[in-house]
Amino acid sequence: MLEVKNLTKYYDDLLAVDDVSFRIEEGEFATLLGPSGCGKSTTLHMIAGLVEATSGTVHLRGNDVSDTEPYNRNIGLVFQHSALFPHMTVKENLRYGLKMQEFDGDHDDQIAKYLEMVQMTDHADHKPGELSGGQQRRISFARALVYEPDILLLDEPLTGLDRVLREEMRNEIREIQQEVDVTTLSVTHDQSEALSMSDKVIVMNEGRKEQAGAPQELYEEPETQFVAEFLGQSTKFEGKVAANDPPMVRASNQEIQLASDIDTDRLDGDSLSLYVRPEKINISTAEKANGTSNTFVGTVSHVEYLGHRAELEVTLDDETTVTAFGNATEEYAVGDEIAVQFDPEGVTIV
Amino acid sequence: MKFGAVTLPDVSVPEWVRGRSSPKLLVGLGLGWLTLFFIAPVIVLFVESLNFGGGDLFANYRDALSGVYLETLGRTLYYALITTVVCLVLGYTIAYFIAFKAKRQFAMLALVLLPLWIAIIIRYFGVSLFFLPTGPVQQLFGTDFGVLFTTRGVVIGLVSALLPFAILPMYNSIQSIDDELIYASEVLGATPLYTLRTVIIPLSLSGVVAAALFVYILAAGSYLAPALLGGPADFMMANVIEQSFTYDLDLAATMSVVFTVTLLILIGLFNHYANISEVLSDL
Repeated sequence: MLEVKNLTKYYDDLLAVDDVSFRIEEGEFATLLGPSGCGKSTTLHMIAGLVEATSGTVHLRGNDVSDTEPYNRNIGLVFQHSALFPHMTVKENLRYGLKMQEFDGDHDDQIAKYLEMVQMTDHADHKPGELSGGQQRRISFARALVYEPDILLLDEPLTGLDRVLREEMRNEIREIQQEVDVTTLSVTHDQSEALSMSDKVIVMNEGRKEQAGAPQELYEEPETQFVAEFLGQSTKFEGKVAANDPPMVRASNQEIQLASDIDTDRLDGDSLSLYVRPEKINISTAEKANGTSNTFVGTVSHVEYLGHRAELEVTLDDETTVTAFGNATEEYAVGDEIAVQFDPEGVTIV
Repeated sequence: MKFGAVTLPDVSVPEWVRGRSSPKLLVGLGLGWLTLFFIAPVIVLFVESLNFGGGDLFANYRDALSGVYLETLGRTLYYALITTVVCLVLGYTIAYFIAFKAKRQFAMLALVLLPLWIAIIIRYFGVSLFFLPTGPVQQLFGTDFGVLFTTRGVVIGLVSALLPFAILPMYNSIQSIDDELIYASEVLGATPLYTLRTVIIPLSLSGVVAAALFVYILAAGSYLAPALLGGPADFMMANVIEQSFTYDLDLAATMSVVFTVTLLILIGLFNHYANISEVLSDL
């Protein structure tokens, strides 16, 4: 279990991490997600003890390790660029942590077990320089786990690998993490990595924690505009509440019906931001558009063909751009008149 | 092109050189210069060292390899060794400090390089003045350290003159170690001292080898340090060769050949344990 409380880091006058608190349960896989420069790496380094926190505490399995040197924290860390010792063989790299942590039990057996886990048994006596990028990541993963640390930290562990290898490694990391049942905190800017691997995602922006929760929770119920816009794609409408029963918001040129069972507290405030995910938007030709609620006609302004589907941008008469997915078999051309429609339940209010 | 952390600009060949130069010409210029002013004089020295006046052809070598001359050769190699060891220890500490702890690396490196702008003889006079019993420093302490005109004086002088040549290659290889490796060692549970021993020193060994080579060769060939800072018993090969040059040219030539060959053998031995060309290509 990892608990971070009010963690703050100033670099001179620059606030890099601003009062971040979260908690990861035993065995959970959590991810710090955010754009570069959001403070996620600094947070990870403070947990590892490589960067000194300005204030705040880190508790690991109930012990306050805030003032503990990194070499006494019993942490496993996988670095961005593997960081294997180039002058040692694979085996020696793994033995280093076992020896330093004074691991009880047979070191050779432990090394063999973890090399097998990452399928690198045949490379035990190779130097890291003789291995491919993907193999080096596996070894650095094994090196971080071999002495059975209290927590595993991953610092953008898949950067620099090609897409196919990245997706393969993603599954493998998740499998191994579950097999050894180690509490894990990963850091990434790649949302598909975060959403696919984690039990829990902590979104950070400009040094602050925006929202923490299960991947589906963050995607379906974003609490802040940043989370709504950072995760996935969506169309944004801004407007004022025009009616309460049934709830309706008036954006510049559209009247948008909201689900009738909506939490009325959410309707407070002068201006509301509404988000609609592209998969909730139906498209049809302008002529077919019927009187159902939330139907708007616009012009196709951009088409991106993606193989399994087409991604469309539709510009409404007030310049609002709607992002929608079109059927890959249909043909859409820039300039076509088209109707977009979404159900009141598909609207998220932030 | 990269040299350590510095990227060299790509310089294109000027218009007026194009078509007028060839690799052969360029190599010829370099080799010609070396042949004329380096290889030829060495051959002349070697011929001069041989005894053509009847009797043993290598008679001079018997003299040069005996008595006071052999002692001087031994002393030279010994002083160079002490200087090298002191330079490596001091230099590594300073290089480590600049690479990891200093806030202004370039200012620190400038300080290291600055003394090289001052003529070496002036720097030795500085050291001399520092330890002169009637000099301001000894007066201030009210005592004579008894360093001047002793072996310690020579070594202190040599170390002060050659330290930059030790610091630079070691700094270069220390600073090129990826920070992540040092963090990795720490997270794996190694104390900073253990990290130094198992990660930083092994990975900067090429710089240490290069520094040892530079300092040893420069120290062994020193003339000014023993002349200005040592006593009569501290003379090194360069001093003895210079002295005999005026009255026994043949002996001077013989000692030059002996000294050069000895250094070559030492470098050869050194190369056997540390592959020098590999080390220098690492820099």
